[in-house]
Amino acid sequence: MMERKEEEQVVVPRWREDFPIAWERDHYITRREFAKFLTLGSALLAGMSISVAVIGRWFFRPRFEGPSVLIAKASAIPAGGSLLFRYPTDDDPCILVRDRDGELRAYSQVCTHLSCAVIHRPESNSLFCPCHHGWFDAASGIPTGGPPTRRLPRIRLRVAGDDIFAEGGDV
Amino acid sequence: MDTPRQGLPLFTAIGLLVGTLVIIQLWLLAAGIDALLSGHPQVLIPAAAASIVIFLINGGLLLHALNFDHRVRTRRPND
Repeated sequence: MMERKEEEQVVVPRWREDFPIAWERDHYITRREFAKFLTLGSALLAGMSISVAVIGRWFFRPRFEGPSVLIAKASAIPAGGSLLFRYPTDDDPCILVRDRDGELRAYSQVCTHLSCAVIHRPESNSLFCPCHHGWFDAASGIPTGGPPTRRLPRIRLRVAGDDIFAEGGDV
Repeated sequence: MDTPRQGLPLFTAIGLLVGTLVIIQLWLLAAGIDALLSGHPQVLIPAAAASIVIFLINGGLLLHALNFDHRVRTRRPND
């Protein structure tokens, strides 16, 4: 009798030693708890949406004011040409473009998709991001193709004689 | 009349409905943040209002389910 009892005790599968997981001790949540958890998440999401609305309504500034900085001479940029500059700090690359009609426009050079640098494509009057083939309209900064969904931040310009100044921007 | 057998489909259906509405709330939040960063803050108030309405629906569904649970559990056997 004693020998048989010992044999029964020893019969433990090998995999139990490798995977010592006791399913019976696992914690299962009930449907009630799950519904309560989802409703709590719903309350948190509603609170976050309210916070975003409050930030957008009272704290968000779509325009930013910056110093007036001379960035280029207008005569140095031909129609269809472009020029790179940094504004408002040295860590903010920007691009100044002149379209075929002679209009000057400046944008942040940082793609709104994953922050690669956009380049000017004068043949299509576009700004092109070579990383993921994103396209922006050079006349407005609005995305026209590829992954980007937000437009490029615009830099406001003031032309005085032959001098082009950057003066703040629009997000 | 409420019976315990109705509890399983009721809680399953309410869980599915609340889960779907929470996903819509997540989309509203993501779209709101994207609109904020794009410089279109005029859509944020409607998005927040929709999210609050969805939360109220979720809260109402949960209360309904918990009230059902309470009624079934406190009912006398001969009722």
